[in-house]
Amino acid sequence: MGKKKNSYSMILVIISILVVFVIIKYIAPYVFMIVLAKDHTMPTPSTLILWYMILAILGALVYVSTSDLKWAKFLSFILPAGDDKTKAILQKMIIVAFPVLVGWFVYSGTAPGTASPVELRIQHPTLLQEFEKLENPFAHVNEETKKRYIEEGKILYQQNCRPCHGSKADGNGPFANAFRLRPINFTDPGTIATVVESFAFWRIRDGGPGLPGASTPWDSAMPSWKDTLNDEQIWKIIMGEYVTAGVVARQREKIEH
Amino acid sequence: MNTIKLFVSSTPKNLHLRIAFTLFLVIFFIALASSTSMAQENAETAEVAETVETEETVETAEPEAPAEPYEVVDYRNFFGLDGRLAIWIIAQLHLMFAAFVLGVPIFAVIVEIIGAKSGDIRFDNLAREFTKLLSAAFATTASLGGLMAFALYGLYPGFMRYMTDVFHPFMFIYAICFFGEAFCLYGYYYSWDLLAKKGKWFHITLGIMLNLFGTALMLLANSWATFMMAPGGINMETGTVQSLYHAFYNFLWMPLNIHRLIANVAFGGFVVGAYAAVKFMGARSHEEKAHYDWMGYIGNFVGLGALIPLPFAGYYLGREIYSASPVMGNIMMGGAFSWTFIIQAILIGMLFIGGNYYLWNGMSRIKGAERYTPYIKYINIIIIFCFAVWLTPHNLPLSGEERALIGEQYHPFSKFFGVMAAKNAVVNLLILSTFFSFLLYRRANKGETMPFSSHGKSAKVALIITAGLTILYLAWYALGLRGIELEENIRQYLSPLITCLVIQIIAIVITILLTFANRGKFAQAFLFGVTTITSVMYMAYYGFVVMEKANLVLRYLSVAQVSIVISCLIVNTIIDIFLFKNAKEVGGIQWGKIPLRAQYALLLLCVAIVTLMGLMGFIRSGLRMNWHIYGFMQDTSAGAFTPSIAYMGWTVSLIVIIFLALLAFVFWLAGLGEKKKQHS
Repeated sequence: MGKKKNSYSMILVIISILVVFVIIKYIAPYVFMIVLAKDHTMPTPSTLILWYMILAILGALVYVSTSDLKWAKFLSFILPAGDDKTKAILQKMIIVAFPVLVGWFVYSGTAPGTASPVELRIQHPTLLQEFEKLENPFAHVNEETKKRYIEEGKILYQQNCRPCHGSKADGNGPFANAFRLRPINFTDPGTIATVVESFAFWRIRDGGPGLPGASTPWDSAMPSWKDTLNDEQIWKIIMGEYVTAGVVARQREKIEH
Repeated sequence: MNTIKLFVSSTPKNLHLRIAFTLFLVIFFIALASSTSMAQENAETAEVAETVETEETVETAEPEAPAEPYEVVDYRNFFGLDGRLAIWIIAQLHLMFAAFVLGVPIFAVIVEIIGAKSGDIRFDNLAREFTKLLSAAFATTASLGGLMAFALYGLYPGFMRYMTDVFHPFMFIYAICFFGEAFCLYGYYYSWDLLAKKGKWFHITLGIMLNLFGTALMLLANSWATFMMAPGGINMETGTVQSLYHAFYNFLWMPLNIHRLIANVAFGGFVVGAYAAVKFMGARSHEEKAHYDWMGYIGNFVGLGALIPLPFAGYYLGREIYSASPVMGNIMMGGAFSWTFIIQAILIGMLFIGGNYYLWNGMSRIKGAERYTPYIKYINIIIIFCFAVWLTPHNLPLSGEERALIGEQYHPFSKFFGVMAAKNAVVNLLILSTFFSFLLYRRANKGETMPFSSHGKSAKVALIITAGLTILYLAWYALGLRGIELEENIRQYLSPLITCLVIQIIAIVITILLTFANRGKFAQAFLFGVTTITSVMYMAYYGFVVMEKANLVLRYLSVAQVSIVISCLIVNTIIDIFLFKNAKEVGGIQWGKIPLRAQYALLLLCVAIVTLMGLMGFIRSGLRMNWHIYGFMQDTSAGAFTPSIAYMGWTVSLIVIIFLALLAFVFWLAGLGEKKKQHS
């Protein structure tokens, strides 16, 4: 009878999971730094690492249990090693590493630290009903007037919004670094491009203090501008701001059937 | 003596289980009660405020007041429990049973037709078993429906007064349809033997009528639900009904109809799959095991088949909610409800992984499948990757330190994976991969294929008609895109979409020609390749471009993307059918020889879809926030707050547990008669 070859699929699974971890934790921050031309690395948030690792483990377990044979091979690694010395060493490593890993998880989860709390943020606070049907009063003026208003809006933007949101509307104004939650980068297509203009109007007019209670936790340093600017000026700023950022507001759609 | 021994040996184990389960329930209810205290506190504050007001009026009122007049109230509570919570639980349970009762007849009749056509008695028996479950669940659905109506009229009399004013003619039609449904269902079930030989097609007609009545019931009830979200046909100030037709056929009615119809089939399929899994695990004889293995396979097949178009229908509904009200849309995807969509993403991911896992495990009972098992690892990697992108939120929970290190609002992972452009691309890839798994499963026991030309003219005609219809649809949509009236600077972004559609049309033509030239397998791979490159890779990139420059185009991009993927699925399916027609079999399928793990996957699928339905029911209804009828009638009761995610989680879990328990009980009742028969 020939000698049966030991299966190392459990070790392959562990190595694959470790490779995924190294990519997410150590390689991705540098890749993003280079690809996005940043001057610092972009560390992967701990929540994402946790989610992605759960998925990696799930994927690996799904794969090794897709047939009885694969599953048996996977589990067979815990059987006595016999003459296979490599297997014996690896088995010992697993037996030591597993409780150490669990212990480390428990320790890092319970040891007192000084980290600030993790916050669950909501992208868009709920727009009040009174703003829903609000339309830009300058939406239907002729082209020439529109251009003039946009230029006026750009100037108003630079006068009032630039310090935080930056001259290019990219969220990099001179004050930006002073905020824990940085001012929004309007050139990012996931920000003002996803909302209707009346939403932007509400945010500028009422700012952080005007947020409804249900929208917490939402720490916004945005001031309320209703005492400084009149409604017309705010609408002009909106027109100028979208052009400066190079994005278009969400358009209302015609309801028809 | 043996019985006593058995009792003694099994009691402690059962007892432990019972104690553990009771403890679990106690903890569960305590936790739920503490969450509901939010509602109670609100109610108490409201009551205190009311009392203060009343006290003030009492002070100014005459000392000798006349007998108390009849008071018209708008809100009541359910024996101390908040009315909204009571309605939530009852309505959701009713909907889940209704989904089962409406979804199962659709495929029961199809299975019966297959049986009648092929003369295979197994299909007929399967359809009958489905109907047995159906008739058991029907009465529970009706009872819950009655309870729901009473609860609505009892707890929300003011709101229901208005709804009745608007919709009373349809309520009578609803009742008539209900009679129709009941007669057809019981007629269908009890006449099975009677019409088995001679009146088979009459029996099938009864089944179709059952479906028609059931669908009519759903359409009627849907109209009331969507009227509450996007009211039409009424004066929004006074509430006067201006057009009953528009109140009924309101803006969200059709999208919801489509979404629910498909979801009901998926729901029915997975629930039936779980039933088969339980029966399989308890089966003693080989025949029984083989039968329930096959039934579980059919359940999973139906569930996955309906799950594939479901994201598209869901996207359509979501998009129309945006159109109906940008505010409601923003609350849904970017606001208070955005985190519930992350939970939804996890559940949908579980469904796809579970469905594929079942298929892969099922391949182990097919001889010849080993030729295709190496592909599994690649499909698995793709599915897990898609799942990861699918659930990455745009806004992550970040600590202050992490935010400082990243240096901006969004981490690149969430910035790129967290938006619709990426999610649409991966869901399409997920669907293509699952479909690929299906094809592998289908050909697992097939060996040498016959050349396509040997199938004769009918095969060619069928292929040409299918491909022709698909091409016509793609061309129709491309022409539609050309004709859309948009501002010139936005319109230009439509042309790449039109190009993609034209490329797909050309690809389909080439695929058909290759198939005619007996290169069917290559043709399928070619179409898969082109579809993946255009609809997944290119459109993922283009989605970001459009998001930035002309987000109005995003809706057309999604439809084009879906159309391309669906066209690939349709053409490749029809090619596959003819490609493997009369192919040599490598080895048969050994029904009953499936690992138990696959049966647990079926159970997981059932729990996942029930939870998903509970969650999505909450989202659809909760989007109205504190409105009964959005924008017209406000909910001024104490319970009209939007629940926190934890509160929602507890309630949905409770609903899931109650539903599964009720379902198990009802199925057990349905099986009692059978046991007696076996006994005699």
